[in-house]
Amino acid sequence: MDSLVGVSPQRILFHGPTKLLVDNYHWHSPEVGIVASYTPKERDVHDHFGIFRGVDQIESFAQATIVSCGTFLGCVKQGCTPEDLRQKFTPIFISVGHVVFQNYLEKGDTFVCIGRITFSKFRQMTCDGRIYKVPKDIDPDAYFADFSEERLMGYELSSDFVLVSELFDITGRAIKNEYFIK
Amino acid sequence: MERQEIVDGLVEVLKTVRTIDPERLKNVTEETDFKADLNAPSTELINIAAKVEHKFGVEFEDDDIDELGTTVKDVVDLILKAKARQSA
Repeated sequence: MDSLVGVSPQRILFHGPTKLLVDNYHWHSPEVGIVASYTPKERDVHDHFGIFRGVDQIESFAQATIVSCGTFLGCVKQGCTPEDLRQKFTPIFISVGHVVFQNYLEKGDTFVCIGRITFSKFRQMTCDGRIYKVPKDIDPDAYFADFSEERLMGYELSSDFVLVSELFDITGRAIKNEYFIK
Repeated sequence: MERQEIVDGLVEVLKTVRTIDPERLKNVTEETDFKADLNAPSTELINIAAKVEHKFGVEFEDDDIDELGTTVKDVVDLILKAKARQSA
């Protein structure tokens, strides 16, 4: 595969169904960044005022960016499948640099995580990016079909996308499974 | 390349790392520990390794970094190992 566009996140992310916070990949340039979306379900807002939690925004962004992009590059480098990689490594959070929340998301609000890779080496990846609420009348697949690296770098979206949060230095690393105590 | 020459070059790299207090770099030896003595966050070690590659013109393997210890000696050893691998 050349990119993650059109690939089911369930093939890339091995989180269980209640913890998987990416629905679709819409645009991907392996060395540069990614656009992925998620729509919060009832379970995601349960016991939280009907609002998708800020920490889950960060988790969703991390899954969409550092885990998805890191897994893709790891598979390319090792010439293997995500399943093969999963047998050897587990993705972990290393650090969250800085996050600014500007708006909120409710159940049914589709949002896109727009991530830019700022560091990728030694199985560690750092991304900056933004989360935007997608206008109800826009199909993200069609909208991002002709997206580009230039538009990614400038977060060039139509004005009806609502900025929800800005994320900086979101860092994760693939750790060998043998380092975990089972 | 002498080990002390590598330590000196490593100190130059460490001076560019904003999370490390320059005051702590005055008496760096091979026994200096990045975490305990220089108070470097674990995330910084990967960035330091990337800068060291560039500084010394070597290339580390992913597994090298997984197995890397936290002292200056560990990095010096790794640089020499990478250089030997390159010239093999």
